[in-house]
Amino acid sequence: MALTRDAIEAMAPDQSALAAASKLLQPAKWPSRFKQGGLIWGECQGSGANPYRVVADIDDPGSKCTCPSRKFPCKHALALMWMFVEDEAAFRTGEIPDWVTEWMGRRRKASAPAKSREPKSLEAARVAESEAAPDPAAEARRQAASEKRAKETRSSVLAATDDLEMWITDQLRTGLTAFLADLAGRCRRIAARLVDAKAGALASRLDELPSRLLVLPAEERIDAAIQELGKLVLLVRAWRAAPDDPELRREVIASETREDVLTDPDAPRVVSVWEVRGERIATRRDGLVSQTTWLLNLAPAPQRFAMLLDFFPASAGRRTSAFVAGERFSAELVFYPSRSPLRAVIATRGDPDKVPAAWPLAPDDPFAAHVEDKLTAPWRIETPLLLPSGRVCADGAGRAWWRSTGGQWAPLGEAPPVLSLGAAIEHAAGIWNGARLTLIAARTNWGRLSFDG
Amino acid sequence: MDDIETSLARIRSAWTAGGSALDHCPADWRGAVSGEAAECAMIALAGHASAVMFRPAPPSPIEPRPLLPALALPTVPEAVRSRLRRVLTRKAAASIERPLIELVAARGFAMHPADWMPAARDDWAPDLYAPWLDWISGDDTSEPASDLTIETYDEWSWSERRVELAALRRRDPGAARAIIAAKAAAEPAERRLKLIELLEANLSAEDGEFLASLANDRSDRVRALASAYLARIGWQTDADALAAELAEMLEVQKVGLIKRRTQLSIKRLKTKPQSTRRSELFKLVSFNALVRALQLDELQLFETVPTGTEEGISDFVLMVAMTGSDQARRQLLDRMVEEAAFPFAHARPLGPRLSPEERRSILPSALMRDDDLFGTTLILMGGTLGEAPLSALEKSPGYAALESAAASIAGADDKTRPAIEATLETALTRIAWLADASAAAEIIRRVTSRGLSPADPRLELLHINAALIQETKL
Repeated sequence: MALTRDAIEAMAPDQSALAAASKLLQPAKWPSRFKQGGLIWGECQGSGANPYRVVADIDDPGSKCTCPSRKFPCKHALALMWMFVEDEAAFRTGEIPDWVTEWMGRRRKASAPAKSREPKSLEAARVAESEAAPDPAAEARRQAASEKRAKETRSSVLAATDDLEMWITDQLRTGLTAFLADLAGRCRRIAARLVDAKAGALASRLDELPSRLLVLPAEERIDAAIQELGKLVLLVRAWRAAPDDPELRREVIASETREDVLTDPDAPRVVSVWEVRGERIATRRDGLVSQTTWLLNLAPAPQRFAMLLDFFPASAGRRTSAFVAGERFSAELVFYPSRSPLRAVIATRGDPDKVPAAWPLAPDDPFAAHVEDKLTAPWRIETPLLLPSGRVCADGAGRAWWRSTGGQWAPLGEAPPVLSLGAAIEHAAGIWNGARLTLIAARTNWGRLSFDG
Repeated sequence: MDDIETSLARIRSAWTAGGSALDHCPADWRGAVSGEAAECAMIALAGHASAVMFRPAPPSPIEPRPLLPALALPTVPEAVRSRLRRVLTRKAAASIERPLIELVAARGFAMHPADWMPAARDDWAPDLYAPWLDWISGDDTSEPASDLTIETYDEWSWSERRVELAALRRRDPGAARAIIAAKAAAEPAERRLKLIELLEANLSAEDGEFLASLANDRSDRVRALASAYLARIGWQTDADALAAELAEMLEVQKVGLIKRRTQLSIKRLKTKPQSTRRSELFKLVSFNALVRALQLDELQLFETVPTGTEEGISDFVLMVAMTGSDQARRQLLDRMVEEAAFPFAHARPLGPRLSPEERRSILPSALMRDDDLFGTTLILMGGTLGEAPLSALEKSPGYAALESAAASIAGADDKTRPAIEATLETALTRIAWLADASAAAEIIRRVTSRGLSPADPRLELLHINAALIQETKL
């Protein structure tokens, strides 16, 4: 069956999906578009930090997108098909990538979707919605309301941080043994109070605290609890001293939007060649799934790592990777303003050619970067590290350790793949949280080795 | 530093039990630790200090494992690795793991260890993986400098020793037998069995004495295997009474109008207990003993294929596969291939006894006779995979079924689609194990021209097959 405009209109869930798709028709939003044997696919830079991967089968209609939309097909899939119908020549013939083949393998043939009664039209979707003339009075009212809300939030969060300090004092007074014995319950209760006080980011951090402590053996939990609670105190005291500081606001209240970061003149921008080091997908206690992609700057630059972070509701289904591990691309990244910038969004992506082959040299003491991080942002939980040559070893109890050739040790958080115990690591990248090292990827005598499954 | 460490230890103790730790506050911190929330200020400092001052270290030095050894064959091309990973992580991966690894080895490649490594129990893994098997089981002693002999036996790791013994058995059967005879008794039962299995290659009357000495082995499985091997070389190992009882449940008749040939008839017996008993006897009696009880010679019994009940024929073929001589099982297979009306699936138990050369020689005719979507051919081929040219595959009923399914899938309705999809999936998987690389590429071209997507996951194995090509050096 040939894909037609009528077919796209028929498969669109509603007119608003087509209207949203029409806004994605600019080629600039699509770093890549390909076709091969009845399949079209591409990557669309949407509202998340990670790009969305979109594929559509034009012979046996069906589509898949990595965005969290519950509409099916989503606006990205509709836009991809729409662009194909309008200008097939803009799609390059390419080799079918693994993620497309994987989708084909998992694909379930759905029965034909129920036709909605609402008339849908590509033409109507194209018509730009007439913008109402700006009303200065209304704008001023909005601004005033916004400032009032911000003031209320600050006052509410201020009170909540006092509560938090009192709560920490209580935990110390009643003993950390008792705290650890009722860890989940106590953290959940204070997190709920922080949510009510609009300190959402702080609440999430408290919510995740039990999982960070309980992953450690019992004998390490007291020390880890002291460090975690200490970081909370440092964070709230820093925020109280500078409540408008963007990094502290992000850590205590909420993060800026992607658009805020892209338009922030103070946000650091780095144009470079980036290698995808790995990805971590985790389900949080608040029901969100976090998708973290770690990027390594291959050019000589102080900004060594970048982290693309997105959150999705767990109900949006299984997450699929936004990148292939080891993939390299040139891009301008905009970093969230921070004392030690790490979280970023992709502003523009360029040609993946002109890519240097070598990984940058790792410092002899990789943990010095963590100490540095602790001095500039002592509340930070994790630091990405570039590790020098070494080996992965297992101790008598089966616990795995990373050992640098220079003799530095770090316990690994997760059981490594068997091969890593027999591989000579030339370079590696990992995430260090002060207690455990999570290896992401390594270059070994067996080539690139991924640790993220 | 010691002062801070001491203070931190005391602070920790106080907070662990509960209560104030302010009395243990280091002097340098006192300026920052005051007021209502002094305890909070102190935990901020204490947490930060312990985070930057201390680094975890193992309780005692740990030596890394030896590096995973490199294998004798090159690693699969990088472009194939993602497909290999994908098929090995699918739900049905367990059923395809072995043929996939054997196909890769048959094409002269080793798997990349990040994609697949044998488990310690995977002794079916092709010989080239012996160094990895040793590494995984921790038996990674350094490579022995000398040849494998009775004296150097203990210097060799288990997997390497087994591979070397198998090679020695092919080169010098007597030398291999001498080592096994000298050393097997000291091995545990599971390994003893594996050593005795090596004698199957080039099995001859000269092995009889050693095999007979295993009649009192501690392991049932070793005794049964030795007994079967003795039967294959013509040693009488079982009671004539049982063979006579079995012979009485069978008939030997003459068939053919001009050329009269002997045929074994395994007819339906009157009662179920009788059938059960006959089935048991086929397992207890060796082929040789039955031939003697029937007062025939081996060749007479295979002048034509046996006839009778499906179950009876299965039991008989299994008996030949287990205890028949090389000549007997070869004759039986030849008759099965020749006799177009004989259900060819009965040949399956004979597969494990075929040598690679025999497999190659029988491949075209097996494909022609195989009406089970290549299933019987696949079993007969064992580890000799990826060698069937398109011309041979095209003559198989399985290929016709594949073509028909590929042609009809597009127009299939909801009722017929599941059966066609199932045929397509089975046929594409099995043909991928058998086809040579150029045949695999051509089959992909043909089925995609019929409408199957090139990204269809059912084509993954064919894509892998087509890509496993050694670069020709000019």
